[in-house]
Amino acid sequence: MASAVASFPAPKDEPAVDADEVVSPAEALYDKCAQRPAGQIFFQRDLSNMQVAETITQLTSILQELCDRHLLKLMTLEGEPCWKLRSRSDADKLRRLTPDERLLYHHIDQVQAEGIWSKALRGRTNVTQQTLTKCLKSLESKDLVQSVMSVKFPNRKMYLLKHLKPSEDIAGGPWQSEGDFDVALIDTISGIVAQHIENETCIKVPGNWNDYEQAIAQKKAAVQGMRDMEDLAPAVKPYRPRRDPNTSRLVHRNAPQYPTAASVADWLNSKEILRGKFVREEDMEQLLEMMVLDNRLEKISGTNYRTVLTATDTKVYNGFADAPCGNCPVFDLCGDEGEISARTCVYFGQWLETESEEI
Amino acid sequence: MSYTQRETPILAELCTFLVGDVYGELAARVYSVLARHGRQSLAAIARASYLNGRQIKYGLVILLQQHLIFHSGNDGPLTYYEIDWENSYGIVRFGKVTKLVEDRYGPKAANVMSNLLALGHTRIADLKEAYFPPETDSGDESDDGATNGAGSKRKRTNGAGVNGSAKTNGVANGIPSELDAAKPHTSDLVNGDGQPNGVHKPSKVDRLTHNAAPEEPGRDQGDSDMTSVDELYNLIQRLIEHGWIRTVTETQYLSPGDIHDMLYQESIEQDNHGITPTGAKDKETVNRGTLRRKRAMRDEWSSVPTFVRRGRANGSNKRIKTNGAAGGSAASSASSSDDDLVIRVNPEKIAVAMRTEQLVHLVQQRLGSVTARVYQTMLRMLESQTPRCWDEWSEPSDEPSAENGVDLRFLVTARDVATKLSRDRDLDMLEGLDPNVAVQITRKGHVSRTNVWTQPTDPSKLSLEEKTKAVDKHIQMLAEDPFHFVTWHSRAGFSQWHIEFGEIAKQMIQNEVENTVAAKKGSLGVKLIRALKKKGKLDERATCNVMMMSAPDIRGVVNDLTLQGFVQTQEIPKHDRREAKTSLHFVWYDRQRAREKLLHDTYKGMVRILQRIAYEREKVQFLLTKAERSDVVGNEEKWLSKGELDALRKWKEVQEKLLLQLFREDDLVATLRDFHGPLVSA
Ligand code: SF4
Repeated sequence: MASAVASFPAPKDEPAVDADEVVSPAEALYDKCAQRPAGQIFFQRDLSNMQVAETITQLTSILQELCDRHLLKLMTLEGEPCWKLRSRSDADKLRRLTPDERLLYHHIDQVQAEGIWSKALRGRTNVTQQTLTKCLKSLESKDLVQSVMSVKFPNRKMYLLKHLKPSEDIAGGPWQSEGDFDVALIDTISGIVAQHIENETCIKVPGNWNDYEQAIAQKKAAVQGMRDMEDLAPAVKPYRPRRDPNTSRLVHRNAPQYPTAASVADWLNSKEILRGKFVREEDMEQLLEMMVLDNRLEKISGTNYRTVLTATDTKVYNGFADAPCGNCPVFDLCGDEGEISARTCVYFGQWLETESEEI
Repeated sequence: MSYTQRETPILAELCTFLVGDVYGELAARVYSVLARHGRQSLAAIARASYLNGRQIKYGLVILLQQHLIFHSGNDGPLTYYEIDWENSYGIVRFGKVTKLVEDRYGPKAANVMSNLLALGHTRIADLKEAYFPPETDSGDESDDGATNGAGSKRKRTNGAGVNGSAKTNGVANGIPSELDAAKPHTSDLVNGDGQPNGVHKPSKVDRLTHNAAPEEPGRDQGDSDMTSVDELYNLIQRLIEHGWIRTVTETQYLSPGDIHDMLYQESIEQDNHGITPTGAKDKETVNRGTLRRKRAMRDEWSSVPTFVRRGRANGSNKRIKTNGAAGGSAASSASSSDDDLVIRVNPEKIAVAMRTEQLVHLVQQRLGSVTARVYQTMLRMLESQTPRCWDEWSEPSDEPSAENGVDLRFLVTARDVATKLSRDRDLDMLEGLDPNVAVQITRKGHVSRTNVWTQPTDPSKLSLEEKTKAVDKHIQMLAEDPFHFVTWHSRAGFSQWHIEFGEIAKQMIQNEVENTVAAKKGSLGVKLIRALKKKGKLDERATCNVMMMSAPDIRGVVNDLTLQGFVQTQEIPKHDRREAKTSLHFVWYDRQRAREKLLHDTYKGMVRILQRIAYEREKVQFLLTKAERSDVVGNEEKWLSKGELDALRKWKEVQEKLLLQLFREDDLVATLRDFHGPLVSA
């Protein structure tokens, strides 16, 4: 509280400046700064140019006062001191902090979006674990700081100021929000990406793509002056039922440009589907690799991907998995004889449509 | 195959079932003693069973004839008997073997194979006799036996085969002397014991062997008529050359352990001056020497004898030469040496052919039927030179040998394949390819916006050059596939390709594990397995990251797959106080473990199917007995009611369905067990 008290000399100054409506120079300076775009950094010359203070000394004391009241934050940029504005409500909260809390806040503030691990925080501040836990809780409850699980070090809780967006190092790439995977987003984007890769690596071939029987028949018909088509038909021996032109089959494209994580990332960014988010190559690689696990993509070489195709529609697993025992809930309990056995088995009974032994 | 030699109780159960199903109860009872107790002497078997000495001897002779057991030879004070798991399990493949050989060499060769399977090891002379019986038999019957329907032929060949073993015991020394007494009677046994159930035995063989297609006399007849002895000899020679049949030598009766001891000893004598090796270098020498001897021994099994052509144009000529052995005289001195040769089916080759079939099937699913045809052609070209899927006795390689030298015999070009395939005029070589490829190959027309070729072309009219290019495109698709079905080797005019079977086999194993997990746990389970396979040991957070999912969404599947033994978990405490909350929890996937687990489950699944078949048969046993009565056979409509006929038909259906599933499970066993040696655990 000492510093809070110390920041109260300000009202004493007020009478020096006359008139009731006239705000204190400190307030005036704060207001002027607040008119500038949010997040702006002010150097001393910017502030003196605002012409609130008459002398450098006065400016210094005004700045001191604002800092004491947590309305300004003193920083340095390239060796030069500079200041940044805080909202009044934040300042208000800060004024009510205990010294320990303020100390921690200060350290958390310094790391900005990178966040700081609670253990490291303790190392820097030398507070006891108990105090640390208590203060961090209180800071979080006051909405001044937030904690995020680090993606890089999964067991570390990282602290950073509430209004900051955690850096990608700790919060993960575009696929995560608040430390967890954004399933809906991932589903949508992987669908779009899958379609894109399919277009790039596969070609849809209609059933009648090479309709030579038709072509021959037509030619002959033309030559023979449109004689009876029926007569001609048997002459051309169809060795296979003609393919329906309406059915089509996906096949692998011949020598395509196989997409890579980089190329897909570029494509996606250029489409601007993810508003405001930029997808780096690593992010895309993560997504594509996951889609390989999902059996939607397959890897052709170290970096190239293509769509997984199957030539048959029917899914059979294997001799074991397709048999009743392969998926039997009591497989481990089933014995050569007794209550659960092949003789009494209901699953075999259903599968074969025969009776099993009554137990 | 040492891998199968690590028998498990469930494999023992499965094999005992198979033996019982095909060779009858007596053989199965002797077999089960060995399955339960391991290596035993005759006396010990007698103590462990309720059978008398004579019964046990009969049983052992049958088992030895079929190579279902090993024996330790006559040298030691006691002869020990031990199960040959590989061959025992092989019973389930009988039907497949016939089919595989028929696809490759036609029905006559298939018929020879199925006879060999039924007979076990067989003297060539006896096989010949089965096809061309000596004149001592009545004319009609002998013709019947030689050429016609499986049933009567089997009876005949059985007799011949067993007689043969009695005669030839000097040649292969197949049967230990202590069993001598049992031999003359074995014909009774194999032929069916003289007991009622004996009559069914041959038909039981049919059940398991004839791929669930009970009788097909129409096809078998005629096609498989062996026209001359030379034809038979040619077939046998071809099958030996291609590795389907091996010649039987004494060493094949020795168990892997005995072989090892024998050759290890020999290596010590010859490579290490008779001193038991102690130092690392000596040990290495002796080990290499042992392996070398094992390989040499094995090569001897598959060496091709030179058959002497004697221009036997017709049967009578032959009979003079071979001196009608069944007439009662001993094996005649006039018969040529190759007649005394004893041959049997080579089980290792069966796995090679099964691998071909499965690879083709896999390609068909992934890339389509024409690409599969191309691959099949490549595989079959290599097959005749591939004696086995993997070599258990290979030189301990310093580096993977694949890199430097691929044997030139194992290279295939698109031209080879195109030449072979161009005989098949019905094959549309352009199917399954990008239409742009067709344009590229033929330089005709272009591809429209709807991907239709503007200049349709009859694919059968393509030139060999064009076909070669099309084949090359299919081969490229095979190479690009993540399975890497083929690998580019070099260019010698055309690209030369080879096939890295070992790598592919590993992926096939993985593929089956994933298929099983997919059936049980859906795509999420597969995703987890793949994530762990790729990344190794992961904690929960890292697992989430790879799968891009949240922890609660994957916990369930991790638990389920752990319980089912497909993934492993591990808890590493961080503090002395081993609190679960603060411990690190890892989960990982071990391919070899998953493989063994799935193999074990599959064996169990097969046992359940066999048990169900037995149960279903039991339900209609009375009816079956009735239907097999001689007065009923052929007059079923007359003697059986409609209900009975329906029940019989239903039983047939049920049996077929179950057998089909059994054979598919066997395919899985082949993938998991036979195509690749043990994998180093991750
Ligand atoms: S026999 Fe029936 S109860 Fe037993 S494991 Fe198979 S399906 Fe399950």
